[in-house]
Parts: sequence; C-alpha cells; structure tokens
Amino acid sequence: MGPSHSPSLVSDQEAALRLATAPMRAIAGRRCYGRYLYLAVNISILTFLLAPIAVVVVFALNPTPFIQFPPVGVSLRWFEKFFASRDFMHALGFSLEIALLTTVSATMLGASAALALARGNLPGTRLIVATMLSPLMLPAILTGLALFQTYVLLDVGRPTWGLVAGHTLVTLPYVVRTTLAVLHNFDTRLEEAAQNLGASPLRTFFEVTLPLIKPGVLAGAIFAFIVSFDQFPVSLFLVSPGNETLPVTLFNYLKFDLDGTIGAASVVSIVLAFLVVVGLDRTVGLRSYVKL
Amino acid sequence: MSDAATRRPNGLALFILPSALLFALFFLLPIGLMALMSVLTGNPVVAPKVAFTTRHYARMFDDPYYLEVIWTTIRIGLVTTLVALAIGYPLAHWMARIRSRTGHALLLMAVLAPMLTGIVVRTFAWMTLLSDKGVINQTLISLGIISQPLKLMYTETGIVVGLVHIYVPFMVLTLTGVIGRIDERLEQAAENLGASPLRAFIEVTLPLSLPGILAGSLLVFALAISAYVTPILLGGFQIMTLPILIYQQISANFNVGFAAALGIILLMISLLLVIAYNHALGLVSGQRELQ
Repeated sequence: MGPSHSPSLVSDQEAALRLATAPMRAIAGRRCYGRYLYLAVNISILTFLLAPIAVVVVFALNPTPFIQFPPVGVSLRWFEKFFASRDFMHALGFSLEIALLTTVSATMLGASAALALARGNLPGTRLIVATMLSPLMLPAILTGLALFQTYVLLDVGRPTWGLVAGHTLVTLPYVVRTTLAVLHNFDTRLEEAAQNLGASPLRTFFEVTLPLIKPGVLAGAIFAFIVSFDQFPVSLFLVSPGNETLPVTLFNYLKFDLDGTIGAASVVSIVLAFLVVVGLDRTVGLRSYVKL
Repeated sequence: MSDAATRRPNGLALFILPSALLFALFFLLPIGLMALMSVLTGNPVVAPKVAFTTRHYARMFDDPYYLEVIWTTIRIGLVTTLVALAIGYPLAHWMARIRSRTGHALLLMAVLAPMLTGIVVRTFAWMTLLSDKGVINQTLISLGIISQPLKLMYTETGIVVGLVHIYVPFMVLTLTGVIGRIDERLEQAAENLGASPLRAFIEVTLPLSLPGILAGSLLVFALAISAYVTPILLGGFQIMTLPILIYQQISANFNVGFAAALGIILLMISLLLVIAYNHALGLVSGQRELQ
C-alpha cells in the first residue's frame, strides 16, 4: 500500500509525505479513530478558548442593559456610552501613556542589559539573568505591594513615575529574554568580519549588531506594551484615585455594574489586541519569537 | 561566549548598570523593606517607637482562618495548573506538529487572542457565562434540561474555570516550544517498531516533553496563586485567597505589617516552588538551561 518504511533515518520531506499518506493507510484501523478523537479534543479546547470572547462581542452589541441570551437585536449604544464616558476615556488615555512610557524605558534598559549580559563578559551572568527574569515568576501582586510600601515609607505619594517604574520592572524580563534569544543565535563572526574590514567598534555596532538584534528588541517592545497595557496587580497598588489605568477602571465598574459598556470596552481592547498580533506577525514573524 | 568567567568584563558590561540600578531600587530594596515591615510593630517613618515583633506571623499561624486562606490559594493554584496542563497539552501538541503554515498561524492567533484580551475582560466574559442568569444557565433552562439555575458563579469551580481560561495560553506556548524541539522521527521509529501511536506518545514524546510540562506548570501556578481579579469577581468576595486578603489589609485595614507578613508567605511559596522546579528539572534533563 503506502511507501515502504526505510530502515535508515528518513528526511523531513519523506517523513512529511508519510504523515500525509498515513490517513489513507489506516482508513480501516483504529489509528483513524484516534486521529478523529485528537481533532475533536483540540477543537473543543479551541471552543473553550474562543467562545467567551465571542460572547463578549455579542453582549457589546446587545441593546438590553442586562445579560440576555439569545440576543434580541443589534445596537451600538454601549460603544457610544463607552466613548462618551469621561472616566473611561481618561483611563484609556492614561493607560496608553503609561504603556508607551513603559515600553520606551523597558526596551532601552532591557536591550542594553541583554547586550551587557551576552557580550560584556560579566561575572555571575546566570545569577543576574535569574534576578532580571524573576518578576515573571514571582507574583506581580508582591511587586505592587512592595513598591507601595516603599513609596509609603519614603513618603513620595503615588507619582506617575512610580507606576512606570513598577510596570518597567514587570515588562523588562520580556525584552531581556527576546533580545538574549537573538544574541545567543547570533554569529559573532559577522562582527569580526566587519572589524577586519576596517569598521570601528561603534560602526560595527550600529551597522551589524543593531540591525541583527532588532527583531528581538522589537518583539520584546511589543510584549512590553501589551503586558503594561493589561497590567493589573501592580497598578492596583500604585494608581491614585482619579488617575487610574483602564483595567483598574473596568474592574471597579464591574464590581457594581454589569451592562454592555464593559462589553464595548472589551471589544475595543480585543480589536486593539488583534491589531497588535497581526502587526507583530507582519513585522517580525511570531513563529520564532513567541517562546515563553 | 560560553566561558565568560575566564575573560575580563569589557566596556559593554557597563550597559548593565541602568537596569541593575532599577532592580536594586525598585525591586530588591522594596522586597527587603517588605520583609522588614513584616517584623516591625509599625511604620518607622510616622510612629516614634517601633520595635521588632513576630506578632504578624503569630496571628497568621494561630488563627485557622488564615491557614485556611493560604490552603485555599494553594489548592486553587494546583487544580488550575493540572486542568491547564490537561487542556494545554493536546493543543500544544497539535500546534507543534501541524504542517501547514496557515494552520499554525491560525492556531497561534487563537491562543494569543485570549491572552491579549486582558484579565478583567476575560473575567467579565466568564461572569456573563456563569452567572445565574448567564448564557449557560439560560440555555439549559430554555432547553428544559434544568429548572433551577445551577450555582456556577461564586464557587471555587467557577474561579478555577476562569483562571484556567486565562492562563492556559501560557501553558500552550511553553509546551509548544518544547514539543516542537522533539525529533518527530523518534515517534515514527517507535511506531515502525510496532508501538501504537498512543504508546509511542506515552513512552517517547511525553517523557521528552517533561521539561516543558514543569516550566509551564510552574508559570501557571505562580500566576494562579497571585491572581486577584478573577477570584474576587467570580468568587464574589465569598472565597478568600492570599492576594485578596493582602489587598484588603492595605485598602480597608491599613495594616501594612500584616500585609507584609502575608506577602512574605506568598513569596516563600513562590520561592520554594522555583527551587523545587530547578531541582526537578535537574533530575529530568540532567542540565539546566540558561533561559
């Protein structure tokens, strides 16, 4: 029937071919049922992942002020309410401002730290990397609590720079990680070649190193923006009343109201997220950089 | 650059300074201050007489209520991690093994879209699904399957469902990377030697993906025990976890010392976990990767 199994190691192409012909070979066997089961399980998991998002979209367009299912019509009133709300708009603007400031500081600090770690011949590199990645592994609410207590002890109030510092702390690991990944796959002979051809170390850096590590830095920057924009636990402790980020405002609204405005706000952030993912895929390619 | 220790630091090493300063001032110092606050009787800046005390820790360990809160937090974290692993593994396997580029891109999109939607928004989604008048209950009632709404929200199960949904993408992305690096020909070799696909998976792929399972589980557990939004909204203040208790001590009771002690406990749980993880990874792979 199918191709005979070669005893030696087969090439990827051959393996692909065999896999493609596998369903034909096993049409009467239990292998086929196994394949269906595999697909069925995975499709149920995808449904579990995506259905809640679809439900949010339905509620955002639902005209009634309470949850109703199945929906009775389509309206944009919740979007109007969201965009007309001074609180929500202020929070959206403040969140974008914080996310942009965080992205700039986390990218600059993280990329230079990664460069120093990969090329600086620093002693104790492993320990430094572990410390710099630790905000990912430690509960973010601890970072928020510890910073809050420090600001209270130092009596500095709740300044915007304090919030940006907290956000930078929890986003920096992403930049360090993506930049380090690129630097580790980097052929250092390219730099040596440039220098052998007479380029100064500075010129080598700007014309060889920087363009080559750019995708990693960029991916880290986009991660930093997304993580900061959605950051909750650190913000919870560090925002001042009247100057809150969008997730905190949404959370406070949700505690008392459950109408379509939240749905509309959700759709706006889903669209933003979608645009960011598409942008990320188009500019740097997700496949190689999405590794947690 | 493998044996950096034998060479001297060069000019590029200076680039570490800004982030080292950030970590010293905004991470290590605050964590140290939190540890200090947890053994002081009050705020040394405003209170004139401050002494060392163990009363914050004594209060926690003497009162079964607080021990129950700590246990609930760990229990929710464990269940969330196990369910996320059970749900995340098949999807990660599919993503790592799918041949078509479009298929891979679509799957990646499906995993990333929820991840980028935001914790508050996704918790809201689960509130609309799980509440007494939510989508699930209304559908079941209109189909005549149940007459009274099922109690899905304000339960630990509801919290776990929400948390799994929020953190499963982290599990999938971690696992996909590891499964993708396993040579597919190993599975095929096992099958050629007569193993069923299931047996080939259990004896070849699963053991080789253990590092990914450990890394993903550690990540999800760490995220789940520090979750605040989901347990509060889906638990409706009826189920108390450490993060909720910590914020309550700050916002309602202004008990900074007790909050710090609770924070230190949360820190200890996380650190123990990271140590256990590194140990387990050492046993599994024989070497530690510099991530």
